Amino acid sequence: MSIKISQISKQFDQFTALKDIQLSIEPGEFIAILGPSGCGKTTLLRLLAGFLSPTAGSIEIGESQVGTAKRSLPPEQRNIGMVFQSFALWPHLNVKDHIRFPIQHHRFVPSALKKNEAKRVEEVLKMVDLESFADRMPSELSGGQKQRVALARAIAPKPELLLMDEPLSNLDAELRMEMRNEIQSIHRLTGATIVYVTHDQGEALAMADRIVVMNQGEIEQVGTPPEIFARPKTPFVAKFVGKANLVKGSWKEGKFTPESLPNVQWQDNGIEEGMKNQGYYPARPEQLQLTKDQDIQNAIPAVITSVQYQGKEIHYLVQALEQEWSVHADIFDKFDLGEQVYIQLKGAVVKDRVKV
Amino acid sequence: MNQMSNKEIMPRRALSSSFSRKSIFKLLALLLIIIVFLIPIYRLVWMSFQVDGSLSFANYTTILQDGKTWSVLHNTILVVLGSTAISVSLGILLAWLVAYTDIRAKKMMQFFIVLPFVIPSYISTLAWTQFFGANGLYGKLMSMLPFATEEINLYSMGGIIFVLGLSHYPLVYLLSVSVFRRIPREVEHASRVSGASGWKTFLKVTLPLALPGIASGGLLAFIANLDNFGIPAFLGIPAQIDVLSTYIYQQVIGFGPSAFQRAATFSVILGVLALLGTLVQWFLLRKSKRLETTVEDKTPRIFLGKWKPLIEVGLWCFFFITSIVPFISMGMTSLLSAYGVDFTWENISLKNYQFILETSPKAKRAIGNSVQLALVITIVGVLIGTAFAYYRIRKPNRLNQLSEMAISLPYALPGTVMALSMIFAWMEPIPGWNPGIYGSIMILFIAYITRFLILQVRGSITAVLQVDYSMEEAAIVSGSTGFSKWKEILLPLMLPSILSGAFLVFLTALTELTVSSLLWSSNAETIGVIIFSFEQAGYTTYSTAMSSLIIFLIILGFLLLSGVQFFWSRKVASKQ
Repeated sequence: MSIKISQISKQFDQFTALKDIQLSIEPGEFIAILGPSGCGKTTLLRLLAGFLSPTAGSIEIGESQVGTAKRSLPPEQRNIGMVFQSFALWPHLNVKDHIRFPIQHHRFVPSALKKNEAKRVEEVLKMVDLESFADRMPSELSGGQKQRVALARAIAPKPELLLMDEPLSNLDAELRMEMRNEIQSIHRLTGATIVYVTHDQGEALAMADRIVVMNQGEIEQVGTPPEIFARPKTPFVAKFVGKANLVKGSWKEGKFTPESLPNVQWQDNGIEEGMKNQGYYPARPEQLQLTKDQDIQNAIPAVITSVQYQGKEIHYLVQALEQEWSVHADIFDKFDLGEQVYIQLKGAVVKDRVKV
Repeated sequence: MNQMSNKEIMPRRALSSSFSRKSIFKLLALLLIIIVFLIPIYRLVWMSFQVDGSLSFANYTTILQDGKTWSVLHNTILVVLGSTAISVSLGILLAWLVAYTDIRAKKMMQFFIVLPFVIPSYISTLAWTQFFGANGLYGKLMSMLPFATEEINLYSMGGIIFVLGLSHYPLVYLLSVSVFRRIPREVEHASRVSGASGWKTFLKVTLPLALPGIASGGLLAFIANLDNFGIPAFLGIPAQIDVLSTYIYQQVIGFGPSAFQRAATFSVILGVLALLGTLVQWFLLRKSKRLETTVEDKTPRIFLGKWKPLIEVGLWCFFFITSIVPFISMGMTSLLSAYGVDFTWENISLKNYQFILETSPKAKRAIGNSVQLALVITIVGVLIGTAFAYYRIRKPNRLNQLSEMAISLPYALPGTVMALSMIFAWMEPIPGWNPGIYGSIMILFIAYITRFLILQVRGSITAVLQVDYSMEEAAIVSGSTGFSKWKEILLPLMLPSILSGAFLVFLTALTELTVSSLLWSSNAETIGVIIFSFEQAGYTTYSTAMSSLIIFLIILGFLLLSGVQFFWSRKVASKQ
């Protein structure tokens, strides 16, 4: 089911949560809405679900207009399923009842499904691997199992749109990785459109077809995971998604020169126009390397301020050009705290191949 | 070598001696708890099985064959069910409105909702009788209407049910409102997304989750309605409508040949009913704690839109009529120079107040007695109650747990039952030896401590729970133990909650009626007893004056307490 969000704004008293949001989503697409807390991503999801109505603009789901400032369809009249951050399981119902509930109440459930309720319950239980837990109460389940029940409840009535509000943030790290696979396979099996809200760029990059990066109530950039990661259009996206070091300087004829180092020239390896116009060079930690060789060209002098050994690589913080840089080096490049080093662009070695 | 081994042994010896001293102390405490809290109840039950000095079921069989018993039971059931229905519906409605909707001034509303809980029920009853009385405000208001209205007689079954229901709905409100607030809103959202409408969500998700809390509140109201003595005594005795609590009272006062045995038997029946209720309530409350969240969500979930002003006006009218107008009526009566005259400038005087504060030695004595009782009970309660609460929380064990149950037993029992058990236990503490405790103010001291200690224990438990053990450990690690730990760390953090408990104990003891109505003697009257006897003798202007005075003192105390708590919390907060 396609979604069209046009000029949506949402105001809470004096506070503007969303400003002029414009977004189209294709049927069957997996969209991740990524941003820090307070950026408006959850508000956007609640507008889609119908728990809030917009202050201005309109929302279309499928063919019908579901939300404008004047008229907003309540959640139960939208063809949606939703997974909540806190799981939101009903303490007085068992696993089977949770799955049965939307099949009985959802008004968009195909009549064939409603007739074969028991079969559908079995089917969904199998999809989330909970067949042997059908009669358990929520209090008798582990965190991962609770999340599976929440997923099962959302997909049981075959909604065409699945909304997910940070569904993995209440799970521990290992379980999160496992559930990513689970959600991807549910996306494949159901073919539903998914709108997935998260603040974890790893989740968004791993699962989404397209990522919407939001900041302070506005969309910063919309694009595929490689686009968002390798070719950020704004300083915020570069910093938030790629953890890039933002180097201030000037662009001339496709070459970048940092402020106060006129002799250094860095080549353009696919920096977006927007960044160039603002005079930034976004350099992700893994795009940089450190050396002690002071004769090397285009290097920036720096001092090591922090060393963190990570096993596969070493994370350095260095001080250069009056800012702190983060550099990920492999474990053979060993430097000590306080040591004088030179930062160099790995550009020649790693050239990001991006199909746009 | 020798010195070393000595050093090793020494602390162990010190340890073992303190161990044995501790166990002696423990044994003494246990003995005291049994004597004070359990023996009286045992004696009451034993008395109900006594006929002419031998064990027998005869008391029960004669009582159950008596037609009067069945009419009393019938009245009791009718009164309790009717008033509980009022309490539950009012409590749930108000709790839902306050917890879920966007009505304004919820804090103020909460104050008015809790008010009937703080004001003694017999004083509210007096206020209501003045409101509906022959010359009361109700009649005046109704006479302004163009058509004739029926007079309302509060001295009836309906009147008892009405006043009981209005007095005890705060219990249902308080338990339900916290349960409503603890239902996570995502759980309701999940139901909406699953296709259930708002109403269906309320029926299938909200209500089943809130039910244990609501039921537990309802049961609490049920017990309170069953236990209450003041309201059926003020309204029922003049109309000759007897319920269990007032019937027991009349048995004891009547001094028939087998009065004590009969009263004891009725008490056992009433006590068993009340304890059963408490048990079920306790079980339900535990079940309602099963909700996953413990945080209370205080932001509104339902926006009333255009209905909001209408509902707010309705609520404030309700509070105004139930919480303010009757007390204005009572105040007006207390200023009349004679009962029944019109409320005009010529008829207003302060002579009723002069009578109770100056002229009447009985009234003056009663005020003195009640204040003295309340003060002593409060101080003893704070010391013993806080000490017990501290051990109960910091060193939880089976013994503590059982002791808490024993301490709460006298409060769980209806006041008349408890008072009767006090008579049996302390008239002759050792059979054959009467030291004159019963018949002096001593019996009231003992009875109040026995009954109200649990109130302070609960307040202090809240206080102790507020101070995380790590804070205490930090104080110990910083080298402060014993006295300075209490003075500088524990007390400053615990004081507001301890004070709330102490205030409740003070207020309850000051205005207590049920227990003292059975245990008073001349020279040992209490405020409640005096108001009751003024009212029974028809001196309504005196009883209303005394009640108005009490209301005034309660409001004063309330303001004082909130002031102290406010400044204290600011002081503690600013120190952090």
